Amino acid sequence: MTGSRREGALGLLLVLPPLLVLVFLIILPAITAVVDTLTPPAGAAPGPTLAHYSQVLATRVVRSDIGFSIVVTVISVAAVFCLSYPLALYLRFNQGRLPGLLAILFTIPLFVPVVIASFAMITFLVNHGLVSTILYRLGVQRFPPLMYNATGIVLTEVWASLPFAVLILGAGLQAIDDALIDSARDVGAGRLRTFVSIILPLNTTPTMITLTLLFISIFGSFTIPYLVGGNAPQMLGVTMTNYLTQYFRREDAVTMAVIAFAIASVVGAVYVISVSRRERGVL
Amino acid sequence: MAAGIALAVFLAGFGNTGQVGAQQPVTLNLYINGDTNIFDLWQKGFIPAFTKRYPKYKINFVGLLHGNGGDGVYDKILAAKRAGRTVDVDLWETEPGFVDQGIPQNLWLKLNSTLVPNLAKVPVSTLEAVDYYGMPYRGSSVVIGYNSQYVKTAPKTFDDLVAWIKANPGKFTYCDPNTGGSGQAFATAALYRFVDPAKYAGKAYDPKEEAAWEPGWKLMKDLQPAMYNNGFHPNGNVAVLQLLAQQNIWMAAVWSDMGLDFYTRGQLPKTMRFTQITPPLIGDDSRVTIPAGGAHLEGTLTLLNWLLTPEAQTMVTDMVAGYPGIDWKYMPASVREKFKDVAKGYSPYPNPKYLADIKRLWHEKVAAGQ
Repeated sequence: MTGSRREGALGLLLVLPPLLVLVFLIILPAITAVVDTLTPPAGAAPGPTLAHYSQVLATRVVRSDIGFSIVVTVISVAAVFCLSYPLALYLRFNQGRLPGLLAILFTIPLFVPVVIASFAMITFLVNHGLVSTILYRLGVQRFPPLMYNATGIVLTEVWASLPFAVLILGAGLQAIDDALIDSARDVGAGRLRTFVSIILPLNTTPTMITLTLLFISIFGSFTIPYLVGGNAPQMLGVTMTNYLTQYFRREDAVTMAVIAFAIASVVGAVYVISVSRRERGVL
Repeated sequence: MAAGIALAVFLAGFGNTGQVGAQQPVTLNLYINGDTNIFDLWQKGFIPAFTKRYPKYKINFVGLLHGNGGDGVYDKILAAKRAGRTVDVDLWETEPGFVDQGIPQNLWLKLNSTLVPNLAKVPVSTLEAVDYYGMPYRGSSVVIGYNSQYVKTAPKTFDDLVAWIKANPGKFTYCDPNTGGSGQAFATAALYRFVDPAKYAGKAYDPKEEAAWEPGWKLMKDLQPAMYNNGFHPNGNVAVLQLLAQQNIWMAAVWSDMGLDFYTRGQLPKTMRFTQITPPLIGDDSRVTIPAGGAHLEGTLTLLNWLLTPEAQTMVTDMVAGYPGIDWKYMPASVREKFKDVAKGYSPYPNPKYLADIKRLWHEKVAAGQ
């Protein structure tokens, strides 16, 4: 039918701009980058080689930066998750002024640029900052530095990512039918039982989406680790930028980018599987 | 790049419409790289004073904050050159990289003291360093800033400095060399302690020469536990000044102009002092470069000559605490007195390739301690 064909053409036209952006700004450069990293250096035998990878991975600093990035990301994601789930539950199952106010309060970090958030955290947590002054007044004289190290990065990432996690988890919780929860309560399930047996399984897909997107965004972040991180180890975003702009080692930077991409794509695969499961109506 | 040039040709075509009549003021287009203090130096210092003295000229000031947009300016000049047109960039203060790139393309005007009579007052070495393709009008170097309330005897040599750091753990630091010249200065000083600086300052580059840096790296690594916060190096020159301001540290490597400027504004303790050690830390001159295809060369040369007068050079020393472009002996005695502790020349920067390696190796060997 011509009508459906026209609709198809219109649909194609509408998706074309984002598709072109995706192809020319993401997919093609990514392929070029991978090919670049497999190209042997001048003077070496032709044919694809993993020399760049072995060279980059032979650098201990880079290895420790990769490990550091993964550890910091996993801890941040876990902390965000543990803080955001109870909050999302609270906002879902409570009505009234206080939950409404909290719902607004917790979205504030979404509208604060990370640069400003990072500097705010620095003044807040640095030696002689507010937190250390309060701790000192309370008689805590010795405590580990809270800024310019992994602690600083985790705290800032958690602050910045919390609203996003609450929103996605909350949206998932909204979709759970009240009738299911009520019936569970009717047959005598307590709060914990309702949560473990009804809410958690029904909210699996949004949970997976939250975890994977959090992982990828924190793993690839630059601004926060650049501003609040220490000198070493550093997160990969900062390391790559240094190799590219400070050390003039473009190939090393690209190789690290491909390694980072490989790590993120493992997590990305989990995301794609979760989403397609939901679309197939499995959950 | 090609697309950029094409676009710039297109834009340049619209840039110079109409001839400027003899009676009309001539507008000079200045493109200045720098931080806001340098913008103030031009907009509140140089430009009003120059246009007052030479009412024939008007100035169109374009500030390139931290060098942003430099690529576009370069493409514009190159495109105009290729198209055989004049360009509406009359003067550009930029990084040595762009100047080097443009020399084979004949983009710049080679200066001499016939074109700019006051050039005779500029130390020859600073002109030769860029083959007369740029005019140094201000300079600065890294110096040692110390709080005289706690530091009774200022270090005179690099070895004195190292001894002081060891004797006063936690009271000294320098910024991460990736993030500021003051950190690069401390790192190069430690390396230069064991090698001949001239070998690394020239254009030649051979990574094998870097083996001689090992004792320097070891020295810095051994100093790490004696640094502020057990080896913390903040990001950027300003962050170090803030540590000095909060009296978290008592001594640090700082840029002469930034340190004196902070001090003058009352942002550092009254007891802060600045001194240069022997051999001196690295420093450099800031230069202005003149596109050969500039549309108003006569006016630009008038401006250049005026920039080297004591009137303009005193603005450099007063407004941004910079070193003058002309020899110190042409400066008023009061200015020479103010700078006597810091103005002792400076060591050369390593060339950009060695500098890149210094930053990388510093991270590997000092920060990561491997």
